[in-house]
Parts: sequence; structure tokens; C-alpha cells
Amino acid sequence: MVAIRDNWRVILLVVFLLISVFALFSPTLGPDDPDSGGDVAAQGSATNLQYGLELSGGTRVRAPLVGVTAEGVDFGGDDRRVVEQEVAAEIDGAGPTDVIARFGGQPAESQETAQPQPGSETSDTVEVTAEGVSTDELAAALDAAGYDYETTREGVTETTRQEVVRILENKINEAGLSGGTVQEVTTAQGDNFILVEAPNQDASSVRQLVSERGTVVIEAYYPASDGNYTRDTVLQQEDFQSIGTAQDGSSGPYVPVTVSESVAPEFQQSMRDTGLAQQGGTRCTYQADPSSTEPCLMSPGLADSLRTGEWGENPVFQLQTTNVSEAQEVSINLRAGALPAQLDFSEESGGTTSFISPSQGADFRTNSLITGIIAVLAVSATVFVRYKDVRVAAPMVVTALSEVVILLGFAAGIGYPLDLSVIAGFIAVIGTGVDDLIIIADEVMAEGEINSRRVFQSRFRKAFWVIGAAAATTIIAMSPLAILSLGDLQGFAIFTILGVVVGVLVTRPAYGDILRSLTTIDR
Amino acid sequence: MVEFTVPEVDYTRYTNRQLAAIPLAVLAVAILIIAGWFVMTGVPVNQGIAFTGGTEVQVAIDGPQAAAEEEIRAAFDAEPESIRSVPAQNVYVITFQSGGAAELERQAEDAGLDVRSISSVSASFGADTQTLALGGLAVAFLGMSLLVFAMFRVFVPSIAVVISAFSDIVVPLALMNLLGIELSLGTVAALLMLIGYSVDSDILLNNHILRRSGDFYESTYRAMRTGVTMTLTSITAMIVMTITATLFGIQLLAAIGIVLVFGLVTDLMNTYMLNLSLLRWYKFRGVAR
Repeated sequence: MVAIRDNWRVILLVVFLLISVFALFSPTLGPDDPDSGGDVAAQGSATNLQYGLELSGGTRVRAPLVGVTAEGVDFGGDDRRVVEQEVAAEIDGAGPTDVIARFGGQPAESQETAQPQPGSETSDTVEVTAEGVSTDELAAALDAAGYDYETTREGVTETTRQEVVRILENKINEAGLSGGTVQEVTTAQGDNFILVEAPNQDASSVRQLVSERGTVVIEAYYPASDGNYTRDTVLQQEDFQSIGTAQDGSSGPYVPVTVSESVAPEFQQSMRDTGLAQQGGTRCTYQADPSSTEPCLMSPGLADSLRTGEWGENPVFQLQTTNVSEAQEVSINLRAGALPAQLDFSEESGGTTSFISPSQGADFRTNSLITGIIAVLAVSATVFVRYKDVRVAAPMVVTALSEVVILLGFAAGIGYPLDLSVIAGFIAVIGTGVDDLIIIADEVMAEGEINSRRVFQSRFRKAFWVIGAAAATTIIAMSPLAILSLGDLQGFAIFTILGVVVGVLVTRPAYGDILRSLTTIDR
Repeated sequence: MVEFTVPEVDYTRYTNRQLAAIPLAVLAVAILIIAGWFVMTGVPVNQGIAFTGGTEVQVAIDGPQAAAEEEIRAAFDAEPESIRSVPAQNVYVITFQSGGAAELERQAEDAGLDVRSISSVSASFGADTQTLALGGLAVAFLGMSLLVFAMFRVFVPSIAVVISAFSDIVVPLALMNLLGIELSLGTVAALLMLIGYSVDSDILLNNHILRRSGDFYESTYRAMRTGVTMTLTSITAMIVMTITATLFGIQLLAAIGIVLVFGLVTDLMNTYMLNLSLLRWYKFRGVAR
């Protein structure tokens, strides 16, 4: 019992180490979600550590959203859709899908994404997300359409950003980019960016996936009574009940879709009315991108079942495409949904792109490990030369390393991806750790032998004042970077602070105990 | 076997003025360099693409350096701002002032180059990062100063710590200008680390002299023995890390290492000359009064 009470610090350190080793190596604690998790990152590694892009390879894209917003708009009792159409009509190059009117910063229709967000816009807003529309143009359009507004500004609303994040997540999952993440980040200046990370993907494929709005509509293109061809949107994204995966059939690649029951009768009727569902089939079009409309043909079989009304019982058809990759794209876009606003990759937008090839990532992983080990060896050599006493120096090196093990265990436990900046944090921790251990060692061993526990305690407390003060300054120095979400140095700051906290509370006191048991004469 | 003992310096041979003169002169020269740099280039320190915006492409090319550079220049339409090679690996780091990442990636692939990494930062984002980094550094420094004053509650010893921490940051910045090292996220991280490291040995010295009983010179020697060991250990580790990371082409770690080496050497000088002379002046003037 006495031994436990005396050595509780050492025991605490051992407990922490065991937990960390468990977090690092236990297969039960692997990445939570095999679909989105580290089946890529964990490749060829025996630990549960996840690696960030710099160490595993992949692409990171950070870009703002295209759009301008008018706030405090008075809709004058008009319906949301009416407002959108009126405003769109006044702006060149913007269709109704490029204009979003929101009541109180939310869509009027109750969509599952319309969570009220604290601090988000509370006034009614109109956003235009077409490219190249200025705030002045939006203002002019609102004036022309007869809606009062308070202000116009660059950027989109919080709700739109959240929708974009959700839809991009869907897109990345649908496209099978495992481990990809999407998040919203805000800079210190209050600018908002969307941050997309995709391991093992090259920059162009990621950019292509996330840069398209991905609006899919089924339009009917038919001769009206006056003989001119008319274009009507007959089905939109939300009208589909389920969307199959892209298939390559005998008649070419296609995406099987089911129209939801509530819309099916209406669609069937309009197909009959427009005369599209005539004997022998006819043309329909689908649109994957506002600028490109792809024609597709209605097969005779489908036309027949539409005319007889059989189709309404089982509202299924196949969206034909020209090639397989297009079918996949349509399928992804239909499942994930259309982006309300698109990412701005232009040069003046303030975005960043980085791509690290998987081989570079792997090299960095090995090389930074070697660099770290060599730095630790240098530290060990210096303290051995300085103290010429293995009993002092060996526990010092072991304690400093155990801090890194605990931090690695923590990173594995919460699934924090290791990046070069985190490794820099580890180096900072070893550095301050060894400094503190030298202070403890010198203080405890000052002026000859320690002949009682009381003397040891008093010296240890003195040493601790300095260590605590130094730790507090380091934490204060790092905290601005840890709080601001600018990514690149955040990992460094977080792990330095964490290491200092673990060091001061757990590992460095334990070193004191180890040193005491090795040097105290009267125990 | 190498001997590593901290020598006992006979401080009584030097006056406070003599001791403080050297670090203050070094600090003044450093500030002059930075001010001169500002006048000549419009910025106090050379900034990397993380702050100015631009694109960095790393490609792997086998073969002699001259031929590789020729190949690189032929591949890209835009004129590279700089081409650096990574020793020990056939990797070249090419930076461009402007030009989209997509365009450069396409050009590199068309030319059949093995692209290792591309990173592109737009100018406005770089400006944001710069504000953040400088703001972070300023807040960190201010926070550290306040904490030091709160801990010692006497002016002279506290200001001594703050001045030497300031000098520990400014001197490496001036050296970075002279040696052509750009301010990057890594060097900003290193400057932040320096605040922590620098304060370590200063607090140790202040603590030994102010809060312990005993002769001034004896306290100083004890503090020095510990403090110099600490700093030399860190310097050794950082020199080794800088060399290894440079060979491997891990720029972030190399940048951190080199700046820390500069800062820690400056810290040795500042702590045991500037800080010590201020403390001695404070201690003996206080006693005489």
C-alpha cells in the first residue's frame, strides 16, 4: 500500500501509457466507419493512427462559394418560388435555379436541412448563385422586380453553406472517395470557405466532382399547338423516389430511376398531353449542367405503358446516357442532390488547392519518423554526456518518449489525422519536456545526496514552480493558433498545448518519482 | 568522450553596461536590418507563398540538375519564380508567383513530369493567413508578457524577460532575411515555439536569483548550469533535425529547426548577458538603497 501511495505518479503514467498503447494498437478501436474511415489511411500500417493529406497523399481544396445575397428583403406576401422567378427574370445569366429566396434565412418549405442556426441570418434573404453577378446587379434586379431590401453583400447565407457541405459530403460518399471530408471554415477576417479533403485523389478529379452544381432535371421538349417547340421541366431531383446505380445495358449505359408515387400520375398525364408518349417512343432530355442539355430517347415500351396508364402502377424508367462515366455522374448527382451554390475556383477568390501524391505522402511519413528518431537520439546523447549517469539520463529519455506515445495514443483514439504540423508539435513537446526534466534533475540532485523524503519534496516543489510557469507561458503562446480554425498550424498548436498539459500533470512528475527512488538514500 | 560541463563565468569582471551592451547592439543591428529590408522591399521579411499567394509544384526528375531544370522550364508556360532541388532525392520544388493549380497541373502532366505535390494559395487568402500569423504572434507575445508580469510582480525582472524574448524573435527574423529564408507557416510555428523556449531559461534564472536565498553569483551559476544544459540540448536536437529534414526535403521541419537554432543561440546570449545584467542592477541597486 505504501508503495502505491508513494509512487502514484509513476502508476498514473503507466496507466496513461497502457491506455495510449491500447488506443494505438487495439484492432477494436479501428476507424469507426469502414466506409469513410481509414481503410485507405490504415493501409500497410499496424496502428490505428490516421494520417492527414501531407502524410498519406491526397487533395485538399478550400474555396468560397459563388454568390451574392440581399438581406432584409420584403417579399410583399409573395411565395418563395414567385420571388425567385421574378428576380431571376431580371438578371442576365441567372435561371430560377440560381436564385434562392429564404424566409428568415431558411427555405420556406420544411426541408430536413432547415435547422434554425443560432447567429445565422434572421431576415428574409434572396441569394443569387450564378457566376458573375455583382451585388449592384442583384440590387438593380430587386428594384426592378419591386422588392424592398436592406443591404446586398458578397457571399451566401449560412443555411446555403450548410446545404453545400451536406450535399458535397453525399457526393463524395456516392463517388466512393473513401475518407473524404467536407467542412465549413471561417477565417479570422470572417470569410467563409468550404474545405474539401479527399485522400488518395488527384486535384483535378476532386475539383471536377465538387465544382459542378449537379442539377439534374427532366425536360420535355415538344411541339406545342402553334407548331413551335416548347420546353417544360417535368421532373426535378426531389421527384425521384429512388435512384439506381449506373448500369451498362445492351442498349447503352443508363441509370434506373423510380418516380415517387405522388408525382407519377402527373408526369404520366403530362407525357400523354404533350404527345411525347406516342407510339414508337420519342425524345426527352435530361440536363446535368445548366449549360449542357443531353437528349435522350423514350423507348417504345415506356411510351406504351405511359399511354395505357400501366406505368403509373410501377413508375420506373431508365435514364439513358451516352457513356458509362456520364451515367455514373448523373447517378451521383441525382442521389447527392444539386448544390445550391458552386465553389469558386477563380484565382482572386481566395481559395487554395493542394495535392500531395501518395508516394510523397509515404516518403514524408517514413522520413519524418526517421527525423524524429534522430532528434531524440541527439537529445539522449546530450543528456548522457551531460550527466554521465544512466540512472538520471535513461529515465529522462524514456519519460520524454512516453509523452509522445501518450499524444500518439490520443491522436489515434480521437482519430485526429497526423500531419507534418502535428509532428512539429511532437518535436516541440519533446523539446520542452526534456527542458523540464533537466530542471527537475538539477534541482533534485543539487547539493549532494538527498537523505530524506522531506528534502526531496521541497526541492521537487521548487522545481515545479519553474516548470509550471514555463508551461503556462507556452500554453498562452500557442492558444491563439489553437482556437482560430485556419487549419495549417492548428494541429501544431493543439498538440503542443496537449503535450505540455500531459507533461506537467502526468509524465514530468512521474520522472521526479523515478529519480527519487533511484537517488534517495533513505526511502 | 566529449566533456560537457557548464563553465563558471566570473561575472564580477564585467560591469552591467559591458554585459548588456553586446546583446543590445545585436538587437539594434537586427532591428536595423529589418527596417532596412522594409524600406528596400516594402515588407519586413521575405514571405513564402503561404502568405503572398502563388503555386508550388514539386516534381521528381531523374538525371543531372541542369537538364532537369531545362525540362522544368520547358514544361510550364509561366516563368517559374524559383527552382530548388531537394538533396538526397531527385525532387525539384518550383514556385510560381501566379497561375492556377489546375493549369500548372495539366502542363506538368502533359510534359510527362512526375508530380509529387501541388499547392496553390490565392493572394487574398495569403493576406488573410499573414494577418492571422502576425496577429497570433502578437497575441502570444502579449499574453506571455502579461503572464510574466503577473508571476514576478516586479518591473525590472519582468521587463528583462520580455525584452530578451523580443530579441529572441527579432534576431532570427533578421537572420532569415540575410540568409534568404522565407517566412512560412513552419517559421511562424518556430517563432511561437521560441516564445516558450526563451521564457523557460529566463524564468529559471529569475526564479533562482529572486526567490531563493543565497549569494547572487552562486544562484546565477546554479541557474546557468541547468539553463545552459537545457538550451544546448535543444540546440543539438534542432541542428540534427534541420540537417535530416533538409536532406529529406521536409521543408516544414527544416524551417522550424533552423529558426529555432538561431533563436536558441540568441537566447543563450540574451539570458546570460542582458537579463543577468538587468537582474544584477536590480538586485544590488535595491540592496544599496
